[in-house]
Amino acid sequence: MSLRTTSVRRPLAVAVRAAPRVRSRRRGWLGLAYAAPAIIAYGYVVIVPLLQSVNFSFYSWNGVTAARWVGISNYVSFFTDPALVESLWHVLVLIAFFSILPIVFGLISAALLGRGRVRGQGVYRWLLFLPQVLTSVVVAVIWKRIYGPDGPLNAALNAVGLGGLAHNWLGDFDWALPSLGLIGTWTALGFCMVLFVAGVTAIPDELYEQARMDGAGPVAEFFAVTLPGLRGQLAIAMTLTVTGALRAFDLVWITTQGGPGTSTTTPALLLYRKAFLNPDVGMAAAIGIVLAIFCLAIALVVNRLSEERDS
Amino acid sequence: MAKKRHVIGAIAVTLPILLALSACAPGGSTAGTTTHSTVSKDITSKPVTLNMLDFWQGGESKWVDEAIAGFRKQHPNVTIKRTVQDWGQVMNTLNLRLADANGPDIATVNNGWQSMGTLAQGGRILNLDAYSDLYGWKKSIPATMLRQLEFTSNGKEMGTGSLYATPTARSSLIGLYYNTTVLQSLHIAVPKTLGDLEKACEKIKAAGKVPFAFGSVEKDSATAMLFSVQDLYGSAKNIGDFVYSAGHIPMTKTGITQAATTIKKWADNGWFTPNYQGVAYADALDKFMHGDGAFRFEYTGAIPFTDAQKQTYGYLQLPQVDGSGVVGTGSASGVMSISSKSKNPDVAAAFLNYLTNKQTAQLAVDHGYLPLLHSDLKKPAGNAELATEITGQQSLDANNGYVPYFDWSTPTMLDTMGTQMQLLLAGRATPQQLTEAGQKDYDAFQATRK
Repeated sequence: MSLRTTSVRRPLAVAVRAAPRVRSRRRGWLGLAYAAPAIIAYGYVVIVPLLQSVNFSFYSWNGVTAARWVGISNYVSFFTDPALVESLWHVLVLIAFFSILPIVFGLISAALLGRGRVRGQGVYRWLLFLPQVLTSVVVAVIWKRIYGPDGPLNAALNAVGLGGLAHNWLGDFDWALPSLGLIGTWTALGFCMVLFVAGVTAIPDELYEQARMDGAGPVAEFFAVTLPGLRGQLAIAMTLTVTGALRAFDLVWITTQGGPGTSTTTPALLLYRKAFLNPDVGMAAAIGIVLAIFCLAIALVVNRLSEERDS
Repeated sequence: MAKKRHVIGAIAVTLPILLALSACAPGGSTAGTTTHSTVSKDITSKPVTLNMLDFWQGGESKWVDEAIAGFRKQHPNVTIKRTVQDWGQVMNTLNLRLADANGPDIATVNNGWQSMGTLAQGGRILNLDAYSDLYGWKKSIPATMLRQLEFTSNGKEMGTGSLYATPTARSSLIGLYYNTTVLQSLHIAVPKTLGDLEKACEKIKAAGKVPFAFGSVEKDSATAMLFSVQDLYGSAKNIGDFVYSAGHIPMTKTGITQAATTIKKWADNGWFTPNYQGVAYADALDKFMHGDGAFRFEYTGAIPFTDAQKQTYGYLQLPQVDGSGVVGTGSASGVMSISSKSKNPDVAAAFLNYLTNKQTAQLAVDHGYLPLLHSDLKKPAGNAELATEITGQQSLDANNGYVPYFDWSTPTMLDTMGTQMQLLLAGRATPQQLTEAGQKDYDAFQATRK
């Protein structure tokens, strides 16, 4: 089916474009000329370093003395080095906290806040969006206090008689990673919510009326109208939060530096360590390239999925 | 279509250029030594500006500024422009900065393989042998101190070869600080041995107080204590040889296993700040400053005592457990190298020499810091705390007991030991496993040197 439609469309498209050919060519060059400053700047600050990184990733190099060609061994050790493999598992946990939880909560709050007229709704939105505005360093420092042994969280638990649940949140091997993850949930939630609330208001009212006429309750309405209507926003939220989890560095560095032990290391943290603290520039470049490929793949898959459903 | 072809064309043209720009082996091919054949003590009288990169902030900054002012009295034509950043920032960017012709002329480098060794091997810092002969540093600086600053020009051997940096006349040790207010309130005398210390801790704990102010959220928080206690068990020779990769000393002979065992026992006895695994470094230090904790292992110069606290706090360099002497980790508080790109190496060397001399040592003491390289200095009145530090330092001098920082042994040792200490304290690693992990790190690094 699809083959036939494209074979019909293509000659048409060419025929339409072929007519003003000369003009379009000139416009093409002109367009490129207009874009040239941006392309050059982009090439210089993004493409050149990217290619350099690809190049570095095939060497063993301390950043100062002559480098030694090692082929793909840096890439092999990405998937065999126990420290890096462990950090990939941590990323999976972080994805649950940085992406899945905020999206679920974001959808719930969008369903609640989006259409109905809730009193003081602006205030709620403002409060929930606040973490998104704060610098990640500020967020990390605030939560380091909250999670402290004498911090507000443990104080609150003690005050309501749940002292048994109090922990050294960031100093505990089992709790440090989920504790970090929850900080990410808190930050991403506001972003997801604002995105979804905006999306909900763009869904035509007629669809909701129709659903109601067909006898849909609020829950059925959510799954039949709201969720399909938010597909585009979901794709954006998914892409940004999952890649955010993959790149997680600042939060981890400021709160735990990957500790206790190695219980909260992330690939980005190991990249930083290998690039600057114990220079192994080739390995750092390889980590960066693999992370970039992961992020690209995730963006492509999420986009493809959301587009497929559209057609 | 036409548009697409142009884009492809543009990529086809630019890609090879970009690849050519990037695709060649990174790193200089210049290996080995950079030295100046003509060196002179007589520095130019023309105006000269030296850029200096260092990490001395806060109170320490004043000490350096006054040393610079002292140097400028002798050489008014020389201007020294300081760039001050915290230690981590300086170390993370140093290698790149020294590659820049407009970068620093003088910079603080770190001892050990990854900083000084790499820079020496890559020819980014000057071989100072000629200046050493000129200024007689080999005579004025003790051999144990020189050893910390020597590398072979191929970067393969540490603790031997040429001189690549000079010490400042101010030292930094790791040892035990105590709060006499807490001790006196419980009628406990200042301990003289490890046995005394442990008895004191028992009493303090029994009185419902905290023996050690300590927090281990940050990975490297526990290493000051680990290396200090290690110095009570390992011999100066074994620790030194292990760090400098001289001979074949296994890590088990450096006292690290006994140190880890002792520290774990203290933790199990409840002698650390409650919930120490969740307490940050700065918070633990703050608790100690406010009397919540009788003891603390710390680097000298790291605790900003007030004038009142200088009367009530003190410092101890504990003797070894077997009574064979005093061993302690110590070095200059900063070591200075000259960039091989510097246009005025003679002037830079003259300033480095000034930083090793008696005036600078006296300035350190005046600001309440431990001096280095010089004795017979005027001690400031009313700083009882500094007096105890000087006593500790003298006991090291008398025993020739200085050992280098244990983490210089490999580029990753500090991180490995930090990780292992957190595992040990959480009961997830034994002292033996800690030592095995360290040995593994060491062996992996030794394999790369061959």
